Amino acid sequence: MPIAIFVLLLILYAAIRRVPVFSAFVQGASDALPLLLKLLPTLAAFSMALRLFADSGAQTLLTDALAPVSAALGVDARLLPLLAVRPFSGSAAHAVLLDLYGRFGADAPVSLRASVLLGSSETVFYTVALYFGAVGVKRTRFCIPVALVSMLVSVVSGLLLCTVFFGAD
Amino acid sequence: MNAVFSILLCVSAAVLIVRGDGDALLASLTAGAGDAVSACLSMSAAYLVWMGLLNVMRQAGLMRMLSRLLRPVLRLLFPNANDAQEAISLNLAANMLGMGNAATPYGIEAMRRLNASNPHPGTATDEMCVLIAVNASCLELFPASLVALRQSCGSLRPTAVVLPTLLSSLLASAAAVVLCLVCIRPCRSRSSSCC
Repeated sequence: MPIAIFVLLLILYAAIRRVPVFSAFVQGASDALPLLLKLLPTLAAFSMALRLFADSGAQTLLTDALAPVSAALGVDARLLPLLAVRPFSGSAAHAVLLDLYGRFGADAPVSLRASVLLGSSETVFYTVALYFGAVGVKRTRFCIPVALVSMLVSVVSGLLLCTVFFGAD
Repeated sequence: MNAVFSILLCVSAAVLIVRGDGDALLASLTAGAGDAVSACLSMSAAYLVWMGLLNVMRQAGLMRMLSRLLRPVLRLLFPNANDAQEAISLNLAANMLGMGNAATPYGIEAMRRLNASNPHPGTATDEMCVLIAVNASCLELFPASLVALRQSCGSLRPTAVVLPTLLSSLLASAAAVVLCLVCIRPCRSRSSSCC
């Protein structure tokens, strides 16, 4: 419902502002496929590696080995791979999410948690490298610790919020 | 990433070989790549819709409107940003609307302008750190691509995650801002350049 209202208001507002709505839409949509084509190779590479990792049984070995760690932290062991790759690569994190959707269904508690964790955090190291790299800054001072603590906040609050919204896992 | 990828492949292959099931390797690899292809294909419909709507939003001036709304807050966060002010507000507005691709050029432009008045080139200024910390905590009003991915994977409630995601990223952004201010405060009182 909110989306329907949003779209209605957006199109009306754009029409009043004399925006060529149709051609603006087409122009924006034309960027979608190149974006996906750029995403596909990385996504495929990681999906491939993750699928092999799961099918070979190596994943079960790892999750079993990590079970005490995740129990101590109170985090589902199936979420650890996502948390491990999230700060480095968006496509790798999406591949992990896709893998969870495939194995447990998109609406399973673990998938909902993974979605929130992915959606509320960023590729911290990539962002830092990109922006500081653009101006040749080497001494980044408090930036990286602050960004990592804020990611930690998003993980903890995300998991708590999921319990509130979707119930316990 | 190279290390992660190589380790994943090697460990899995080793486990398969130990189990005497080496033939399954190629099937798994192909199936995995197939997952990515079908996800991209089914996501493409949602991407077409959202990227189209986002461009209508941009041309209708919603991004500029949001960036104007943000400006008073940004003046507090970036007191010495001078001519980088506009690029910063456009960068954050684009990020909030989920237009990551539009946000990056503004962000880099903002960094260039901040660097132009940097008294110690090579060392980050307060403003740069705040800008990046806020960018790295990703405040997004509507996670369109996440919803698209969920939809393409057959979710019955693709938008169920929107509210918790928004709240959790709000908290993360707030934490980033507060931490930055805490880190900056002692430096400023001890005059010009420390840390």
